[in-house]
Amino acid sequence: MTRKREIIFSIVRGAMAIMIALLVAMLLIFISADGDSFGEKLSVTAEAMKQLLVGPIFRINATGIKFEGKRLADVFAAMIPTIFTGLSVCVMFAANQFNLGSEGGIMLGAFISAIVAIYMPLPRGLHALVCILAGGLVTGLVMLIPAILKVKLNVSEMVCSLMLNYIIMYIIKYLMNTSYADKSKGQIQTYPFLNSSKLPALSQAPIFTSSKLSWGIVIAVIAVVVMGFFMYRSRWGYQIRMIGINQDFAKYSGMKVGFVIVLSQIIGGFLAGAGGGIEMLGRYPSFSWSALPGYGWTGITVAILAGNNPWFVPLAAFFLAYLGKGCDMMATYANVPTQLIAIVQGVIFLFFAAESFLSRYRQSLVVKTAKEEIAAKMASSEEGGKKDE
Amino acid sequence: MSNLLSNILSPGFFFSIFRISAPILYATLAAIVVEKAGFANIGLEGLMMFSALFGSLASYYAGSWVVGFLTAVIVGVVMSLVMGFFAFQLQTDIILVGIAINLMGSGGTLFLCKIITDITEGKAMASTTGLVTSGICIPNISIPLIKDIPFIGEVISGHSLLTYLAFLVCILTSIMLYRTSLGLNIRAVGENSNAAASVGVSVLKIKYIAIGFSGLMSGFGGAFMSMSYAQGWSQDMVAGRGFIALAAQAMGGGECLGGMLSSLLFGFAQALGIKFSAVGLDSNLASPIPYAITIISLAIFGFVRINRAKKPKVAA
Amino acid sequence: MGDGVNREEYIVQMKQISKVYSNGVAANQGVDFNLKKGEIHALMGENGAGKSTLMKMLFGMEQPTSGEIVINGETTVLSSPSVAISKGIGMVHQHFMLVPSLSVAENVVLGMVPKKGIFIDKEKAIEITRENAEKYNLHVEPEMRVADIPVGMKQKVEILKALVRGAKILILDEPTAVLTAQETEELFRELTTLKKEGYTVVFISHKLNEIKEITDRLTIMRNGRSMGVYETKDVSKEDISRLMVGRDVVLNVQKDPAKPTETVLKVRDLEYVNEWNKKMLNKVSFDVRKGEILGIAGVEGNGQKELIDMLFNLNVPDAGTAEVNGRSIIGLPQAKIREMGVSLVPEDRMLYGIAGTASIEENVISDRCAKKELNNGPLFKMSEIHKLSEQLVKDYTVLCKSPAQQVGMLSGGNIQKVVVAREFSNDPALILADQPTRGIDVGATEFIRKKLVELSRSGVAVLLVSADLAEVMELSDSLIVMHNGRIVAYFRDAETLTDEEMGEYMLGLKEQTPEEIRRVCHD
Repeated sequence: MTRKREIIFSIVRGAMAIMIALLVAMLLIFISADGDSFGEKLSVTAEAMKQLLVGPIFRINATGIKFEGKRLADVFAAMIPTIFTGLSVCVMFAANQFNLGSEGGIMLGAFISAIVAIYMPLPRGLHALVCILAGGLVTGLVMLIPAILKVKLNVSEMVCSLMLNYIIMYIIKYLMNTSYADKSKGQIQTYPFLNSSKLPALSQAPIFTSSKLSWGIVIAVIAVVVMGFFMYRSRWGYQIRMIGINQDFAKYSGMKVGFVIVLSQIIGGFLAGAGGGIEMLGRYPSFSWSALPGYGWTGITVAILAGNNPWFVPLAAFFLAYLGKGCDMMATYANVPTQLIAIVQGVIFLFFAAESFLSRYRQSLVVKTAKEEIAAKMASSEEGGKKDE
Repeated sequence: MSNLLSNILSPGFFFSIFRISAPILYATLAAIVVEKAGFANIGLEGLMMFSALFGSLASYYAGSWVVGFLTAVIVGVVMSLVMGFFAFQLQTDIILVGIAINLMGSGGTLFLCKIITDITEGKAMASTTGLVTSGICIPNISIPLIKDIPFIGEVISGHSLLTYLAFLVCILTSIMLYRTSLGLNIRAVGENSNAAASVGVSVLKIKYIAIGFSGLMSGFGGAFMSMSYAQGWSQDMVAGRGFIALAAQAMGGGECLGGMLSSLLFGFAQALGIKFSAVGLDSNLASPIPYAITIISLAIFGFVRINRAKKPKVAA
Repeated sequence: MGDGVNREEYIVQMKQISKVYSNGVAANQGVDFNLKKGEIHALMGENGAGKSTLMKMLFGMEQPTSGEIVINGETTVLSSPSVAISKGIGMVHQHFMLVPSLSVAENVVLGMVPKKGIFIDKEKAIEITRENAEKYNLHVEPEMRVADIPVGMKQKVEILKALVRGAKILILDEPTAVLTAQETEELFRELTTLKKEGYTVVFISHKLNEIKEITDRLTIMRNGRSMGVYETKDVSKEDISRLMVGRDVVLNVQKDPAKPTETVLKVRDLEYVNEWNKKMLNKVSFDVRKGEILGIAGVEGNGQKELIDMLFNLNVPDAGTAEVNGRSIIGLPQAKIREMGVSLVPEDRMLYGIAGTASIEENVISDRCAKKELNNGPLFKMSEIHKLSEQLVKDYTVLCKSPAQQVGMLSGGNIQKVVVAREFSNDPALILADQPTRGIDVGATEFIRKKLVELSRSGVAVLLVSADLAEVMELSDSLIVMHNGRIVAYFRDAETLTDEEMGEYMLGLKEQTPEEIRRVCHD
């Protein structure tokens, strides 16, 4: 198939998946809508859908709709952790490693960064950097466990990483209870981070007036660029991708398959951990997570939507953050529970991952291309024949 | 420490092991059967969440735990068949289907709970614990004669109907797998689907049956969670039991008896965690133990397997 | 031949069968095949002659493009294996269709389990197995797990499976390929018993002694056509060999005489016993010198695949050595082997040769992605990579829109050109070419052959393994023949050989003296 048709197919397929998800959402909203008549329910649904689709960046009121910078800033802020977990999952899934440890990884990174931010005074700037690197490195090292067990003993990295998520969570909870809690507070939380460690807000920029949006978004964008180059412009990313496509081919070509598989998971761990640190230092005054945050699972959705390609991660993360914000808006203004996002996300995920979804359409494009190619070949051979005469 | 020991040696502690193990055992049996059929269902967590929610709601509306239980089971089976449709017909990676179901299972159930209660009760509720009363929960059963035996009676008698059923189902599953033609077909499909297909066994049908069975078990487990373990459904109440089951399946060597023992081990660790907090220790210290044991035992299995493969060939 | 005999006698008649696969390969062309009740009938031919395709059609796994199948006098459409089974046809595949963890009895009754209530009647299953085993004189242990029984018994289980399902005609696809001598003898006794009971057996093989020993008639195929049906007693082994092995076309490869110099690959006493305890390599020794093409001829399955696997560390030999320019390569990682200048055109190009969903460009740099020329610090020199891939696509005439196109979307011939472009362009000292032109179009085949000659004349050592007799005889400067894991002949000058001679060595009718064979080691 031609490249252009590939792209057209991907767009049509993605759009269909999103349409189906939105239809499901609409149906659910309609069923739950207040109102006695069909028409009434319909108008409530329409109102809610408007909030979902334009609410994330516009304020809707009687006089019309108006751009709202703060909301857009919230959407960007929500992208920070999922860009990191999304990148983390991309690198591991691209090597065909179903490591689901980004969930525990982001929590571990956040916790380690928090500890460094509280107990290791350093100059401003350097402090944040050390915190984030510490979070990333420790998480990367922890990912050695599933990676090495997979390579050396063929233990399922999926089960192993799922177990690690829980071990990480409980150990952090234990450490919080025993060693690091600020006993003066009612809720279990650490002492506040030192000011030198905090990631400043991006509030100087005139339209981004959200207090939640930190410089973390800039770091996230840098991470995307670095990972994009890493995966598509470096020998390591190249090897990761080739191993993911055909491991026997990679081995025969002379690649160090075991090493690269381990590498992909260390990098995946590092990204999740660093993302945790950035989220923590940019958004919270102290560490108070008492459960796994769910960003790892969203990261998997991001990676699936992005087709494991880092360059598409911001787009996918933006899309999901936008939908999330839309659901929040619906909850506020249209009284639709915000957790609708989970169902919409799940449906989109399923249709994106379904290999044969619209396969007939794809087949028709392939056939069309093949026919054109044959016609072109015939034409050129006739031409060649004439020239020979 | 002696305080902890006396707490542990009480009948109440052993009673709680069985109670905690039951839902894990259901999910483990689900994991075992799909694994025998040659794939993995990591969506058990989400399936149980849906079953738990709808089970508790149905039992409240009908005022009958039987209706609730059946609803939970039906929801589990139908959703698992939908998973099968995506995996087998639309060729979605089964692991991704599982992840999608889990995504929906955690937030989506809360959404559904809110909109359904909003319609029926007039206000959106974040859990069904306010609706489900002990009268519409799955009944506990005290066993005559046995209940009077000191210690043992206290441990064995008085459990929920579904706790007993879990262990019974475990035996039945084992019989199904090893004594019936369905079980034979499941194992054949999982091991060599070409061989099964070559003698006229429908591989697709068997796969649907296996994933449907996992939905059935998730239904049992979900019903137990919201109608016996707790009174009513609340968010994320399954709390990783669907994942633990995957570990219990692997740790138990993929067999029912092993799976049951692994489930009991997880139950033991959680019960221990509860006792830890009872005596002022931190339960978070006991809770990760089963997960760590899983990783270690998987590593040991892997080591043994690799070394066995390396053994020199016997001369002809 | 068959013409004089009363038609009623045939229980199976396949008339003018042709089969063209969707990729355009014509596997059978107007083949006539028939079976008499109660005979053992050999179906013979080299690899790719179309035997398996013909039998797959008889077992309902493939549908003929044209032609007619008559069973017991009735024209029949065999749309699936279950239809074939219901017509009394059973097939024992080369790769067993068994479930290892189930018992023998369970495998025998799978899909038609005897029941007691809802349970499997295990006793009944064992009884069925035992009864049939006795009836047909096929000794099996009904209660043992299939994983624990020897290969010979596995085969009997497969035969039993077919018989229990009512097969009167048994197709055995190279049944002796995996068996030891004793097991083979046992199988022959059993087949003779079945024959006496009135069963009909189709026996696919290329082992002449076996054929002479056990069959009544034989059909020989070559290049998708039938070479005739014969009474086994009327044809000599030499006749069969001549009918089976032979070039259909003479290629007339243009090449200058080789001027071999120093030894590049030196293999000594390589031995390997496979997981079924069959000796696949037995004291294999040879040299390949700079500037020559050494061909390995032989019927497939006689150790060629294992030999290549050892030379690229895709498997490890039990004993022996292999050196490239004086340095051992046994057990070295592929990266090291490649560093020493060894290239491999693998037999299975889809498994090892390419990453299907990656681009052509990504496929041609897989062996050199870490090389300095292509890297600039941590990043690829994309311009160099583009230049390289465009150059290779041009040099190797890969038909594609651009090097960014997915390699899996190309035709077989173009995929192979991509593999060859990579393997030939890395400045190799030694090229291992394993079936380099199998199943690809004429144009690509010719191109690859020309390249091989060109490279050897420029001083590369080439080891060529091919089941295509014309290719291996005309491309090679010298030639060795492998049979049963051993080198049975060495010809210093491949050009002087006749097809008849080749056939006799390949099929094990003749063997050179150890001294003659030893000449391939140029010590």
